[in-house]
Amino acid sequence: MKFGNLVIAGIVTGSIYAVFAVCVAVWYRVSNILNLAVGDFAMVGALGVDYLFRVENWPLPLAIAGTLAAIALFGYAYDRVVLSLAQDRRRHEGIVVTFFFTFALSFFIEGIAQILFGTNVHAAPALWPGNSLTLGSGLNIERAGILVLGCAVLSGGMFALYIRYTLSGKAMEASGENALGARIVGIDTRQYRRIIFVITALLAGIFGIVESPITGYTYISGATISLTGFIAAAYGGFRNPGRALVAGLVIGVLEALLGGYVSPEYGDTVMYAILAALVLARPRALGFESAVSN
Amino acid sequence: MTTDLTPLRQGLAARLSGRAGAGGPLATTGLVVAIGLVVVLAFGQQYAGSVLVLAFTYAIVTTGMAVQIGFSQQIAFSQSVFMGLGAYGAAMLNTHFNLPTLAAAPIMMAGSALVALLLGSVVTRASGLALAVATIMLPLIATGYVSSAGYLGGSVGMPLSGNLWQASSPEAIAVGNGLVTVVLLGAVVFVASRILHSDIGLELYALGVDERTAAAMGIATPRRKLELFVLGSAFAALGGAVYAGTQLFVPATLVSSAAELSLLIMLFVGGRRSILGAVVGALLVQYVSGASEWVSVNILLVEGALITVVLLVDPEGLAGIVATLRARLARWWRAAMPPGPASGPAAAGAAPGVTAGVSGGAAPGAVGPRVTGWQARPAPADGAGPPLLECVGVSKDYGGLHVLDEVSLSLPARGRFGLCGPNGAGKSTLLGVIGGTVTPSAGRVLLGGTEVTGLPPQQRFHLGMSRTFQAVHLITGRTVLDNVAVSCLDSHGSSIVRGIGRSRLNEARGKAAEALDYLGMAALSGRDVSSLTLESQRMVEFARAIAPRPRLLLLDEPAAGLSEPQRDRLKDVLRAVGELTCVLLVEHDLGLVAEITERIFVLGHGRLMFEGGPSEFNDSAVVNSLLIGQ
Repeated sequence: MKFGNLVIAGIVTGSIYAVFAVCVAVWYRVSNILNLAVGDFAMVGALGVDYLFRVENWPLPLAIAGTLAAIALFGYAYDRVVLSLAQDRRRHEGIVVTFFFTFALSFFIEGIAQILFGTNVHAAPALWPGNSLTLGSGLNIERAGILVLGCAVLSGGMFALYIRYTLSGKAMEASGENALGARIVGIDTRQYRRIIFVITALLAGIFGIVESPITGYTYISGATISLTGFIAAAYGGFRNPGRALVAGLVIGVLEALLGGYVSPEYGDTVMYAILAALVLARPRALGFESAVSN
Repeated sequence: MTTDLTPLRQGLAARLSGRAGAGGPLATTGLVVAIGLVVVLAFGQQYAGSVLVLAFTYAIVTTGMAVQIGFSQQIAFSQSVFMGLGAYGAAMLNTHFNLPTLAAAPIMMAGSALVALLLGSVVTRASGLALAVATIMLPLIATGYVSSAGYLGGSVGMPLSGNLWQASSPEAIAVGNGLVTVVLLGAVVFVASRILHSDIGLELYALGVDERTAAAMGIATPRRKLELFVLGSAFAALGGAVYAGTQLFVPATLVSSAAELSLLIMLFVGGRRSILGAVVGALLVQYVSGASEWVSVNILLVEGALITVVLLVDPEGLAGIVATLRARLARWWRAAMPPGPASGPAAAGAAPGVTAGVSGGAAPGAVGPRVTGWQARPAPADGAGPPLLECVGVSKDYGGLHVLDEVSLSLPARGRFGLCGPNGAGKSTLLGVIGGTVTPSAGRVLLGGTEVTGLPPQQRFHLGMSRTFQAVHLITGRTVLDNVAVSCLDSHGSSIVRGIGRSRLNEARGKAAEALDYLGMAALSGRDVSSLTLESQRMVEFARAIAPRPRLLLLDEPAAGLSEPQRDRLKDVLRAVGELTCVLLVEHDLGLVAEITERIFVLGHGRLMFEGGPSEFNDSAVVNSLLIGQ
């Protein structure tokens, strides 16, 4: 049953990675910027709700709404001020420089979180309290895990439907394919960059709130999640949300299995080594064709 | 306002960062060492001194990063790992073998270089995002390993007792440590600026602009990328050993991704394309973080805000900001001065009335073999000898899509030839197959009777093939002369270490000057390329393509974006060059092709649909239906 439990735990973590990878990939399609701060919004979601609920004694629904509103407002302001200055008002600087804006954002959010929430491990209160559920013969799944999976399926499905069946979804696709061309035919690419940025930040915040009872968060937890999401998105060539989703799930399961069977200490190390080797061995197959020289 | 400033600004940015020759390696090194020595001697025994010594330690690492990442655009997240390797290695050697830390430093540099060579030979096969993604996992792997390795002190870190500088009193140790650090930093700055000023440095600049163009200019891009990786890693290891010897403790966090990001932030705050900027960035970030209690606790917030603001103001960091300010000051100074003959040449550069271009002295009559300097390689008389270029049954499939289908053509040693076809006909692919950037699915390419089908572009360059690309890829911040000299370098086979000692850049510049002279562009040679018009930039690329005296010249849409008179000038140049060498021209301007070429190949749906002279070309029904739609 160890295997089954590890796979279940892996799917739960993997679905988090998958959602973050999808967030990175979707926004990269629109903005050509890699968002390395997406995990920090999850951290803010978890710690913000905890802070408002536990320390400030707000009612839980209000705490959640307040935290999400703060995230949305911050995301909007950041796009309006920094991203519009960085991307709209000067010539294109290429990926090397824009990379650094989200790095910096991640540092900045973590710095603020350190001041606001301190350095201890906290978590938002469980939304579905109770012991983990037991399925059949010894398979355990935590209630928060079920919520995470549910949210992942729901948000992933909505994204897919949105892109596939709505006009604005197609317009969003177009603005990622060729920003200038999209603008010429009347699509406001900046608006899509802004909307998707805020939506992905909110989504990350929600996942932080839902997931935090399982792992707990500190002010720097976001960096690791972002990095894993980034790596998963990389395996989807950064532009393919579907493949990013699969990659996120695979990485989650791989992490759990390596941690359970190889070694709890070196599990992550081995996993990253495998992932790095994969990029180098089969770059083309993983969607890096344009980035690889012969 | 700002657009007017751009050329001046970039020229000054170049000056400031020691790019365009001014402020040579010795001056840069002297400045860093002098300031460092003064600081250490003045504050060495105080807290501020210890902060600055740590900053100098990081500056050793960021200087290497400026060469590896800033100039060459090879983003690798490996510095913190190699810094950790140097630090842990020095600590181990000191603790277990009683080796002084200063002696351990070169050992760890060599060891890290070896590790980097092995790792880099795998990692640097990738470039761009793939390189970034593959190397971003290195700090994660290293952190995972270090924090569970008991013999390295686990997740806390490893203490050691060996100071970098051994002395009896704590004061003498503090000052000695600081002085050794400054001297080592000076050495690193010297090596880095020597390399950047040499002919190999010019190769690195070219690599940073566009890897494909660099390869087409004969630069062995895989080798240079590997060397950069090794160089950056060795410098990082030296920084790590110095860290161990001055802090007497190696924290496990030294190898983490957060440490890697901090290093990158130092580099980008200072200015990624400036050696001095890299040093200043490290000093600033470290000094700020050590300056007050509040800042050191909230360092993440401060670093995040700092890098955002600096990059918003100028992507070239502080070096770029300083350059802009200097340019503003210079402009204000010139405006304040009464106009006189003294301000002639300097003012002409910025005056809008003076159009940079192949004009005036370079009028059609002036173009041609009037100067004996530039000459094509001796070629056999027309018709004699084997054909220069032969494509035999070349095909290219992408999946099920046949882009090229059994294309065969052959070109003699001299003359002008055109390659035309509608969009998607396979022109660019065929040019890629000839140039070596596209591997054909079937068929062979021969150059002067030698099979070159599997050879990379840089080797084809050495066999006498030279080309231009549709997009302009010039090194902004360097002169026209240096940009042309890129294709005349003789350093392709030398290792990067040679760049520290001897530079043959002036010989390459000599050849470049001949080509510019031949094209009547000698007057432009001292100008920064970013101050030129599109036509002049295209002509610089053209000069760069002919400067190595190629046997075969491939031109990809040289007339795109040019005006009618500019096209006329281009025609004259092409006519003259075609008398000496073989020119293959891919062009949409059918009039231009029909006017100046002697034989035209037309591709349609991946097949060779037509081959003939200009008059047949004009009359051909096939050509008309394909290209004009009649």
